[in-house]
Amino acid sequence: MITKLKFENFTAFEKLDIDFSPGINLFIGENGTGKTHILKALYAACDITKSKKGFAEKINDVFYPSGKQIGRLVKRSKASCSGYVEVKRNFFFFEPDIIALRLTVTNHTMTPDKAKITGSPKQWMDNSVESVFIPVKDMMANAPGFRSLYATRNIHFEEVYSDIIDRAFLPALRGPIDRDRGKLLDILQKSMDGKVISKNEEFFLKNKQGELEFTLLAEGVRKLGLLWLLIQNGTLLSGSVLFWDEPEANLNPRLMQTVVGILMELQRLGVQVFVSTHDYVLLKEFDLAVREGDRIRYHSLYRSKETQEIMHSASDKFQDLAPNAIDDTFGSLIDRQISNDMGGLGK
Amino acid sequence: MIVETDGYRFDFQDAIDAFKFDETDNTKSTFHGAPMKAVDVIAMLPDAYLFIEIKDYDSPEEFDELSGADEIDRKAKRDNFKWLKNYLKYKYRDSYLYRHAEGKADKPIHYLCLINFDNALNLALRKSLKSELPVGKASRRWVHELSKSCQVLNLDAWNRNFPKWPVQKLVRNIEKVR
Repeated sequence: MITKLKFENFTAFEKLDIDFSPGINLFIGENGTGKTHILKALYAACDITKSKKGFAEKINDVFYPSGKQIGRLVKRSKASCSGYVEVKRNFFFFEPDIIALRLTVTNHTMTPDKAKITGSPKQWMDNSVESVFIPVKDMMANAPGFRSLYATRNIHFEEVYSDIIDRAFLPALRGPIDRDRGKLLDILQKSMDGKVISKNEEFFLKNKQGELEFTLLAEGVRKLGLLWLLIQNGTLLSGSVLFWDEPEANLNPRLMQTVVGILMELQRLGVQVFVSTHDYVLLKEFDLAVREGDRIRYHSLYRSKETQEIMHSASDKFQDLAPNAIDDTFGSLIDRQISNDMGGLGK
Repeated sequence: MIVETDGYRFDFQDAIDAFKFDETDNTKSTFHGAPMKAVDVIAMLPDAYLFIEIKDYDSPEEFDELSGADEIDRKAKRDNFKWLKNYLKYKYRDSYLYRHAEGKADKPIHYLCLINFDNALNLALRKSLKSELPVGKASRRWVHELSKSCQVLNLDAWNRNFPKWPVQKLVRNIEKVR
């Protein structure tokens, strides 16, 4: 389980120090407060335990700075400076042993091989963790040809887009599907009215009516299809980590309820989940779905009014989260209405 | 002009007068004394009146359909929301009639509901209340407005928008749903 993340002068952050829930971690914040950066850094740290890439190389591939100059990931400064990203994890929830992995780069570092890795890189790599990053843009319908194109050509795509297709194409696990996973697959099959099959790098939804290619499906249904594949092929098992950037994109409220229900169940099965969102309904769905024993933490990212630097606050209860960028947006609507209706009264 | 009621302390710095409108003490000059519903506070400004109603609930989610676990729960919460909207509506109308009878409905009236909901729920309640109150002239035949505006807001939004009428919470005076 990932227990902690620290940034110093990394991307948009001057300093960041976050402790995570072993269950669900929900990030809210306005655009430009680094939600996706957090998810990507954590994902890179997890992925290398399986892909055996270097941490610096993976970070560079998922962030894709201009010219692939890794030094550009250091927070912009007029002077020479260095930044780091440090991730900590333990192997089991209650295990006290925590290992760390730190990547340090300066704004002059050109290539990943010149970056400095400290902590316990060997122990980190020796203990693999399954992880998956679901980006905002759907890639399932674009799968045909994309993997081979990405492998052979230098196309300008962050690696998370190619990784998610690779995860989706993993074959199903051998043996019968256990009861818990079977239950989740059933829920998804009912919601999307079918199951997913792949043929020649193309995904189809198969049901009584036949096989429907993903390009003809609503994007919300494609998301359920992707979850179905990841559960069926064992990518999402106990001990694995799921990163999902804005799951609400193109999802109608009914499907959102299904998705939140699945994520809560995955957490109960031992999957650690990281989600970024701008959506009020999604947050409400999570708040509603929490039961005794569930582990969920709400993280708020916001800019300090004084320094404009990105700050972080966290709460295990939704109603205690402050500032809450989503509710603040509704607050701003109230302010404008009052101003329209009442002019300068009370001011 | 300080008014303390229902666990809140208001300071209407630019008001001509402000008082507890639903006063039950018959020794006071502001005793209400009529078999009608009454908003909690009225503030009289040079060019407008404020009707203020306060609601503090221990379970705001009981009014939020979005937090309904299933269709039965959602319906119960929809019903609570509708009940509250009607409650606020009739409180305003009775208060307006009372003030009309006093000959004191002669300036634009702004209805401010101070409710401890989140901004999203307050926004939904305001939309629903505004159309039924009604705000503005509801008919071409009307020559007067029943209300100039209605706002539903929590303590933070109040203090952000009305720095001349700061309000603070004194004690917990939490109400149960209905």
